[in-house]
This record gives sequence, C-alpha cells and structure tokens, in this order.
Amino acid sequence: MAEAAAPQPAAKAVSCPNCGGTVTLRAAGYSVTVACEYCASILDVSQPEVQLVTRYNERATRLAIPLGTRGTLDGTEWEVVGWMARDDSGYAWQEFLLFNPYHGYRWLIEQRGGWSLGEQLTRTPEGAWGGLKVDGERYTPFFADGTARVTDVVGEFYWRVKRGDSVRTDDWVRPGAMLSREADDHEVSWSRSRYLSTPAVAGAFGVPAHTKAWPPLPHQPSPALPFVKAGIVIALLAVAALILGAVVMGGGRTLWQGSVTIASDGRDQQAIVGPIELTRPWQRVRVVADVPALSNGWVDLGYTLVDRKNQASFTASKAAERYSGRDSDGDWTEGDRSATADFATLPAGTYDLVVDYKGNNWIDPSRPPSNFWDLNANEPAPDWRRSGAFAPQIDLRVVSRGGAGGGVFFLMLVLLLIPLGIGLLIHAHFESARRAESDFAAQGDDD
Amino acid sequence: MRTPIFLYGLWCLGIVGLFMVASNYAWSPFADGRAGPRGTGGGGVIFVGGPNHK
Amino acid sequence: MLTLPCPNCGAPVTFRSPALPNRVCGHCRSMLVRSDGGVGIVGIEAALPFDVSPIQLGTRGRFDRRAFEVIGRVRWSWDDGSWNEWLCLFEGGVHGWLGEAMGDFMMTFERPLADAGSAELDRIARGSPAIPGRKVELDGEELTIADAREVACIAAEGELPFTALPDWRIYSVDLKAASGRAASLQREGDEAWFYDGRYVKLAELAPTGLRAIEGWQMPRYG
Repeated sequence: MAEAAAPQPAAKAVSCPNCGGTVTLRAAGYSVTVACEYCASILDVSQPEVQLVTRYNERATRLAIPLGTRGTLDGTEWEVVGWMARDDSGYAWQEFLLFNPYHGYRWLIEQRGGWSLGEQLTRTPEGAWGGLKVDGERYTPFFADGTARVTDVVGEFYWRVKRGDSVRTDDWVRPGAMLSREADDHEVSWSRSRYLSTPAVAGAFGVPAHTKAWPPLPHQPSPALPFVKAGIVIALLAVAALILGAVVMGGGRTLWQGSVTIASDGRDQQAIVGPIELTRPWQRVRVVADVPALSNGWVDLGYTLVDRKNQASFTASKAAERYSGRDSDGDWTEGDRSATADFATLPAGTYDLVVDYKGNNWIDPSRPPSNFWDLNANEPAPDWRRSGAFAPQIDLRVVSRGGAGGGVFFLMLVLLLIPLGIGLLIHAHFESARRAESDFAAQGDDD
Repeated sequence: MRTPIFLYGLWCLGIVGLFMVASNYAWSPFADGRAGPRGTGGGGVIFVGGPNHK
Repeated sequence: MLTLPCPNCGAPVTFRSPALPNRVCGHCRSMLVRSDGGVGIVGIEAALPFDVSPIQLGTRGRFDRRAFEVIGRVRWSWDDGSWNEWLCLFEGGVHGWLGEAMGDFMMTFERPLADAGSAELDRIARGSPAIPGRKVELDGEELTIADAREVACIAAEGELPFTALPDWRIYSVDLKAASGRAASLQREGDEAWFYDGRYVKLAELAPTGLRAIEGWQMPRYG
C-alpha cells in the first residue's frame, strides 16, 4: 500500500434513514449499532447499507458530554462516541463509550456525580478468599444478582444495543476499583472500572468540577484513609519519641526522709528539715507525708521550700485526712492518711523544707449526745492525737523527679492522637456510608 | 492528601518538642507548689476538715 | 520470494513464501493462487469497507521477542458485527493471526487439533455444535467456550494461506481462559482448523508503521 502515506480519515458520515440527519461514525469498522443523536432511532451500520432497526421520533437528548467531545485521561486522548443510561431498580447511572483507534474502547461511568473509567477485561478474575483477584489485586463482593437495564441510548456501539436490553450483574470492589460481571444468555463479560477524581474528569471533558458523590460510590477510596495510614506511622514515631524523652529525662531519687511529731493539743507547729540538695538544673520535687496514726481527724500541711542561697521560696498546702464511722449502711471510711505535694520547675540549689503543720481532731456531730442512761456518757470522745502510747508522727519523704511527669506525658499523648482520631472518625463515617449500599453490608471488610 | 499529612507531622513534631521543653524545665501544670513566700497570717484558703460522707 | 505480473491486470505481485499460496492483487483485487503450474485467478475480492483499524499491511511488531510483519488481512462478519484477522509473517517463515475485534487484539497460531488432544474439540471438529459456557481442557488449562457462530468473509487483502473470498462461510468457535489465553476452532464441512494464542495489548507488540488516522496522535512504541 504505497498510498498509505496520506492519513486515513477518522470518521465517516452516514445519514439517518428516519430523520435524514447526518450521523458521524467515529469508530467505523467496529460499530454495529448507532442510536441517531437527532431522533433516537436505532440504526444498523454493520452492513454497507445503513438500516433502520427501531424508529423513534424524539427530541435529542442533551448529554452531559456531547458526542464527539475529546478529553485526555492519564495521558491518552479519548473521544466520546456513545452514551447509555442504565438502571438497576432505581439505582441509575450513565455510561459514555470512549474510543481511540490506537487504544480501543473505554467506559466513562457517572453515578451521583462520581466518575469511573471502565475497561473490558480479556482475562477472567480468579476466586480468592471469598472474593476475586485480578492483577494481584483482591476484590470483595458488593452487589449481587442485579439486573442492569438500558433505559436510553445515543451514539454508536460495537454491539447491538437497544433500550430495554438487560444483563445480570454482580460487582466486587476494592478501594479505587470495581470489578463487574455482566452476563446474558450466551455471554459473560468482565470489566474493571477505576475511580476517577471529579476534577480530573472535569478537566478532560468539561463536566461540573465540584460535585460530590454521597453516599460514596462502592469503590470510592476513603479520602481519609491515606491520612489515617500515614498518621498512624507518624503517631507511632511521635509516641516513641515521647516515651524515649520521658525515660531519658525521667527518674528520681529520695533526697530526705524523716519524721516530725504532732502535738496532742493541736497547736500550730513548724519543723525545718534539710538540707535538700537539688542537683539538676531544673526538677520536680514531691513531698509525701504519711500519718499512720491518723483517725477521724486531719493534718494541715504547709510546705515552703527555701533556697538557702537567695531565699527564693516555693510553697504548697495539703492536708492528710481520715474519717470513719458507722451508719445504716454499715461501716464507712473516707480520706487518705497520706498527702502528696508536687513542686515543678525548681532550680538547682540547697534548700530547706519548712513544714507548718497542725493536727486536728474531728468530732462526729451525729454522735448521740451524752445522757444519763448511757454507760459511756462520761467518757470523752476519742482523740487520735492522744490515744496512742507515743505522740503521733508525720513520716516525711522528699523525692526529686526529672522530666515533666506522667500528667504532661498523658496530656501530650492525647493532643498527639486527637487529629488521628478525627481522621479515623471521618474514615469510619465514609466507610459505613459506602458499605450501607452493599448487598453484603453486614460482612464488610476493612481494607 | 499530602497537606493534612504534612500538617499532622508538623503538629506531632510540635507536641514532641513541647514535651521535650517541658521535660527539660521539669514543668508541669499539675503541680501543687507555686513560687513565692507563703502568705502571712493564714492568708489564702483555710482548710476545714471533716468527711464528705452523708 | 517470487514476483510475477498479475494475470488479470499485469501489475507486479509478490509471493513471499510457498506456505502462503494466495494473494490478492493490490491493483485489481483478483484473488490469485500460486501453484507449480504458475499463478491462476480464482475469484475477485470485494473492496474492504471503511474502518479505523490502527493496523495496516506493512505494520511491524514483536510478539514474544520475535519480529513480525503484517502481510495480509481477512475481514470477517457475523450477525452482530465484523472483525479483522491480520496475517503476521514472523522471522523464520512462521505465520500467526492478529485478531482485532471490539478494540481488543489477540495473537494466535495454527496448531494441529490432534496435538491439542481435547475430546470436546474433536467432537466439535467432527460436526457437533459448540455450547457457549462449556469448559474445555487444553494442555491442563481450563478454557471456556465464549462464542460459537457462523461467520462469513467480507473481504481480504495481501498474502494469505487460503482462498478467502466474499461469502465464504465457516463455523467459528471462540474459547477463552482466565489467564487471557484465547483459542478458536474453525470448521468448514469435514475440515477444521485450530488456533491457539492469547490476548495482547497493542503496546506490548511495540508496533511500528501503524496506520495514520486523521486527528489522532499515533502512539510511539519501542
């Protein structure tokens, strides 16, 4: 064919035997059926002579993407040559047949404003783990035993198509792709469609860019999933850094330990203990006071840590309290015989700890007043400060602690995980809306 | 999707940094002690003992 | 290689291989057959209908690392459309068929039926109808009968291993496997031919010399 140098014309015009309109054949040699874009009549173009199959006299359907529109998806240019509206008992979608003479056919599928690019498979998927596998990708069942019916058709097709044509359908999905099986009485065909971002389709074919499919398409990837996946890795690293920091900076030791005695008359007392050497540039200090003899009373504790060098002082107040009694429910106890006071951000230095304290006795007001038939009437109410053989003591322990402590660690942990939690919630919300449409909704798989 | 991931990375970096700074200064908002001398003459809150039990 | 004048119009025609005795004169569309006695005319080929196939005579490519050139074509039709079978001559004289239907391609090679060793295929070859959906075991692989129809030749061009004239009707059975393997059995009267191969993407053939189609960017491969 020496004359092959001149490029082959891409299209051929035929006229509609019904309305006389000029119909362009953009996939001549492949196309079998044309639905006239002017009157919707179905024409047979498989033979040199165009034949009328079904006569319609309708107004032209306005397509979201007109026949003949070209657009580039993933670097390949496609031309819209056909369009079908399909429906499965109220679940409607539209399919644009795309053609490129060098790349064959694809389907541009629109549903609820979401888009996919479909391709006929030349291989049959293999069964795998209750799902199917193609190209090493696993798909899980989503729709079963559907019937897809053609409700409207415009343009040219490589098979005999007409309104009312129906096929049995089953669909499997994975994030980003759907596998569909369509079967009629003598043929089974498989296709795979990949989810397309609406802006990509808008850029290629001029459809509205800001539509959002909701509920999501069965194979629409969760927009939050990449964030959640990367976020888990980031959060793990950050938590590891927190733990490492807490371990490296943490650790503590006892700086001083001893006891002071509590006077039986409950007067204000003061003890100065020390020296307490704080060696780190900055530290936290915990003062633990334990009053083993405490019973139905409380001890006011006022601590002042004074730096011997510059008289800088740090104060805290606490109380140890312990009560018990008996009521209609039985015995009860309340309070804690020990009290813990925490200081933070203490600079290095030699300190004295001034302890101001006072032992208090509590008299139960509900205790019945003394009266003449009570055998114990003249016995005074018990007082823990003088009931023992020895004067009660406060056991004091002063501990230095590094780092910011568990409270700050936990606070930071919560702050770290909040955005990840929000991402997980968005992901879960999206996935449950996506799965709700499935015929296998109960047994969704978390991919 | 890259931007939120990047921002989250930044957020985590900030939190870890904050924790390191807090650790270095042994800072904690949960401490009982405060700087300064004790109020004289029993200034401040006077603790009154007694159970909450009803 | 044998070049002779066309017995009908006198235009030079070339026969590349004794295995390919048929040739359609590019000038007058006479179907010529080469024999020991010379070249004879057995009929007139129809004009090929307009199509936008990216393949043309002279297209070269590689399949399984073997180079081939497209030297002939038969266009077939069935009730619901038509397709091309492109004859590919490989280095070493082997030939295969590049089938082109619905925008998909498959490369198949003729293979003796006896060698395939399938009882089901043997039955079909002897005249039983093929039932779509039925499984056929071939070389330990399960194939499914995808289609079985009467097909007719529309037209042909270039060099061919047989005489393919318009309205030549045969019974054609297509088989497919999950792996992308494709096979077909063609039957005419008592005779049957078996072809075995697989689906291919145009890109994997790295073709050069594709047909230029107005307004479309021709992809560059290899």
